[in-house]
Amino acid sequence: MSVDLATRLIDVLGALLLFSTLLILAAGQLFRAIYAVAVQSVFLAIAGAVLGAATGNPDLWIIAGITIVVKAVLLPWLLIWVVRRIQIPREIESVIPINATLGLAAGIVVLAFRLNASLGPVRQAITGNALPVGIAVILLGVLVMASRRKALVQMVGLFAMENGIFFTAMAVSQGMPLIIEVGVILDVVLGALVMGILVLRVRSSVDTDIADLESLRG
Amino acid sequence: MMTSSLLWLTPLLPFAVGLAMLLVRDRRVLATLDVAGSLAVLGLTLAITGRVVGGGPVSALGVLRADDVAVLFLVLIGLLAVAVSLATLGWMRHQLARGQMRADRLPYYYALVHGFVATMLVTVLADNLGILWIAMEGTTITSALLVGFHGDKHGLEAAWKYIIVTTIGISFGLFGTVLVYGAAAHAQGGVLAGAMNWSSIVAIAPRLDPGIIRIGFIFVMVGYGTKAGLAPVHMWLPDAHSQAPTPVSALLSGALIKCALFGIIRFHTIARAACGPAFSQGLLLTFGLASVVVATPFILAQHDLKRLLGYHSVEHVGIIALGLGFGGRLGTYGALLHVINHGVTKALVFLVAGDAIGRYGTRDMRLIRGLLGIAPLAGTLMLMGAFSLAGTPPFSIFISELMVIQAGIAAGRYVMVAAFLVVVVLIFAGLIHHVGQMVFGTAAAGASREPESAVPMLGLLLLAAAMLLLGVYMPGGLDHVLVRATEIIVG
Repeated sequence: MSVDLATRLIDVLGALLLFSTLLILAAGQLFRAIYAVAVQSVFLAIAGAVLGAATGNPDLWIIAGITIVVKAVLLPWLLIWVVRRIQIPREIESVIPINATLGLAAGIVVLAFRLNASLGPVRQAITGNALPVGIAVILLGVLVMASRRKALVQMVGLFAMENGIFFTAMAVSQGMPLIIEVGVILDVVLGALVMGILVLRVRSSVDTDIADLESLRG
Repeated sequence: MMTSSLLWLTPLLPFAVGLAMLLVRDRRVLATLDVAGSLAVLGLTLAITGRVVGGGPVSALGVLRADDVAVLFLVLIGLLAVAVSLATLGWMRHQLARGQMRADRLPYYYALVHGFVATMLVTVLADNLGILWIAMEGTTITSALLVGFHGDKHGLEAAWKYIIVTTIGISFGLFGTVLVYGAAAHAQGGVLAGAMNWSSIVAIAPRLDPGIIRIGFIFVMVGYGTKAGLAPVHMWLPDAHSQAPTPVSALLSGALIKCALFGIIRFHTIARAACGPAFSQGLLLTFGLASVVVATPFILAQHDLKRLLGYHSVEHVGIIALGLGFGGRLGTYGALLHVINHGVTKALVFLVAGDAIGRYGTRDMRLIRGLLGIAPLAGTLMLMGAFSLAGTPPFSIFISELMVIQAGIAAGRYVMVAAFLVVVVLIFAGLIHHVGQMVFGTAAAGASREPESAVPMLGLLLLAAAMLLLGVYMPGGLDHVLVRATEIIVG
């Protein structure tokens, strides 16, 4: 695959990544947010495969495979399992209205691209627009977590953020060393398991969402 | 033994001890393993220090590496592990007696503590910046389970805030790492072996693109700064450090937030060389001053003993950031010394506080009175620790705070130094007021007057000895390591 084609494909996938993050932000229902992050992970895996084909680096293919298994299947499945188990209302309550969140999101995306434009020749080290897409997805992930008072949606926001980081990492030169990427994914899985345990433990003792607890102050 | 195998063994040993603990059911065997494992860790860290002092930095396969900066943090972790294990002997007996810890869950507790120590050791031994990140997130995962270990509502709330906030934060750190790695790969014209290693990135740092390093450092500063408890991203810290079981609080406040600072120091060294000292130092000053100022009202108005200590840690990471931000040899030396001094003192005070909380059955400082009367040793140690934390001579923290202030004056940052001094005086008054009321007076009839047992106190005395010694005398070996570590950071 030519470098030019790879760059164009990465830009398309970057746009899809951004779009799926916006879907998570706009989701009014828990399952939709979970499906959106699963789809986003599929885009990420495709990006890994494209870059693998373009650079001839087999590590990227392996990472693409792991992404499909872990991020597109395993983690969303874990979230759905927890939702089913604790029987929570599936509507997402937002701290700020969803329309306002989307307005903020637009601002974040513009900001990320303007920041990128101010960078010098080093942009060549990163394929296409992967840098501003990564920055935008990370900040949008924070927005999801800050504006939603539900533990599982916060976890979805976190996974979206990690996807943004991985997208940029893959596009830097030839990706991070395989062992590091695997270690990072392992951390993400273990972290998600611990979060799941905490959510379940709170549900079993008091009947509230863990993200709604606010007794510790001052 | 070969030096490189020492590097591998140091984190692997507590990890293996932790796994072995899962198979043990006997309480005594667990406690013995706990103390023995921690002593072995301290021994290993001292052995590495000996090699580094004697023959310069040592590395293992380009994955782990120990230089003078790393050994400072290593020995701190080893020392605190031993002190905490000794203190746990007494603490755990009380927890079991009062039914606050279930005997069947002990193996998990001890195993998690050792896993937590192992991940902290990897953090400071990592040469590869990716490994540094993975280990840092590993500390969050293991310690979040410990923060929520009691399973009560408050503990779980604190654990959730802790894991979610620091994981978001640390993700910023990963992105910053990716950008720095990208800049290094670009400067080398492709991905060479060790392109992600701190030692090789620092070697080419002057050739790195300053634009991308700046953005990378901002992400790292926010990311690892969250984990270090720097304001304004410190909200989780007072909750987590106050809700965790007391020995874990001592490790979190004494060692873990220092590990996050270690990460910042590594990237600060790269950023200094790539874009000049002004940028990263300015950022460190901003976060440092914010932490010192933001923590003050919460310290003054606090009634919960452990929350007080948590907010106080926010102030002290702020002081370390200020020292690094003022820069120069003096500021950097003072900041590194403050890492040790605050680590030792804060662990001591947390452990004494745990003892007092156990005796009075409350964490409300208004209900704790006359500790000196019912537990003379603990009362004395709490008083000494508080004076040290407040920055009074002849205790160690006075020395390092003075260095940070001198560095600020030398750097011409008079406004910041003035603000810092005002805050230090306010906190001195607040802290001594709180602690004075707890230590003196007459204890309520309900407080436990059980005599103090010798072995757990040994851990506290170990820390108190280090705190006093460093206040009046600087051992030649430590000075040597600090000077060389300062050279590594500021060149």
